[in-house]
Amino acid sequence: PVTAGSIVVPYGHVIGNEKWRGSEVAQRLQGKVRLIFEDGLGLVDFHLPNRTCILLISEADLVAGDEFKRRLVRFRNASSLRGIVIVEKTQISDQYYSGVQKLAVLELGMVLLPVANQGEASQLIIQLVSSCVREQSRDRGSRPFLGKQRAPAAEPALLRAVQRIPGLGRAKALLLLRRFGSIHRLCNAALAELEPVVGQAVAQQIHAF
Amino acid sequence: PHSPSPCILADSREISSGPEVISCLRAVHGLRVQICSLGTSDYMVSSRLAVDRLLQSELQSPGNRNKLSQRLQRLRSVFERICVIVETDRVRPGETSRLFQRTQYYDGVLSALVQAGIRILFSSCQEETAALLKDLALLEHRKDAAIQVPTEPEGHQRELLNFYLSIPSLSYGAALNLCHSFSSITAVANSSVPALAAGARLSRPQAEELHRFLHHDFDLQLLPQPLPKGKS
Repeated sequence: PVTAGSIVVPYGHVIGNEKWRGSEVAQRLQGKVRLIFEDGLGLVDFHLPNRTCILLISEADLVAGDEFKRRLVRFRNASSLRGIVIVEKTQISDQYYSGVQKLAVLELGMVLLPVANQGEASQLIIQLVSSCVREQSRDRGSRPFLGKQRAPAAEPALLRAVQRIPGLGRAKALLLLRRFGSIHRLCNAALAELEPVVGQAVAQQIHAF
Repeated sequence: PHSPSPCILADSREISSGPEVISCLRAVHGLRVQICSLGTSDYMVSSRLAVDRLLQSELQSPGNRNKLSQRLQRLRSVFERICVIVETDRVRPGETSRLFQRTQYYDGVLSALVQAGIRILFSSCQEETAALLKDLALLEHRKDAAIQVPTEPEGHQRELLNFYLSIPSLSYGAALNLCHSFSSITAVANSSVPALAAGARLSRPQAEELHRFLHHDFDLQLLPQPLPKGKS
């Protein structure tokens, strides 16, 4: 029943479990993504590109009891694919949400996203698919949280750090850095080496720090 | 001295923006909450996990996009693990609950968070946010990542902490660990990458970055000109 699934999903495509044929979520996905139905997807409702699986939990599933919990646990045990659980959080099912969240996110380490109805679920799936596409296109501007900030030069930070040593202002910190270069060498400088740069009193202070 | 219950560090801004989160953590869940200026994140629940509290409305408005993106990138450069708690906005007295209009933009932000491997939790109020923070802290405690060093250094330790906090890419928790695990800055500066990783509880790449910083050769030419003033 569990297909841990090494299904390869082409970009822009979604493979849907046969049981969703004709449903609202399927109808709304059609035209926005290329939806292909397949039998035997087991626990998974939709396969997205990028090794991601969607498990859809309806309001009725939540209210009915613990069956959906067994499904999540079985998926987690059987599959190394990324599991995104989309759950219908409505006025009726709201009271069960925090329990589901604890299980899915905190215990099983899955992603859990609430929606109000099947229409919202399809909108969310469309965004998840297009974010896979963007990810692939390597366009930095469209990957808002993944881009690495360009590392700033270490010099201003070095100067700030050295100024945190008691007794040192900007001028003396600069003198020390120019003389010793790195914090590593500054730390290992002998008192006699420090004295000519900053004077006896401050040299002792640095050494004591 | 090992603490019996896990400790949570809270950013001082949270005193005004999330007062009930903090009082719930203390009163209801009996956790130690230490207020400090974390700067990068709203909460630290372990040596490696930063938690940011975001209001649902902040994720809804495209005007926030750059701010949010910069904030999360900064978090990613300092922390191994990041979690955001998306909290439903509070309804002000006299205001009828506005219906949440889900937008394509909002779904796009959620997808980007998922894609970036940032853990997302949803909360309906500050009390629930506090319960989630407690759950996260207990989970990290079980994984032996809890903050177990004294969080209020005094005297010389305080000065050392301020020094470590000025090192970019080092979180508040990592700076506390350095204070606790090494006798002096010289001991830190003379440590190998593995020793830094173990002592400050840093990941290997983070420890490498710290090591690079400590050995970085100062080049006056690379200091921005004109020299910025009063940024200590």
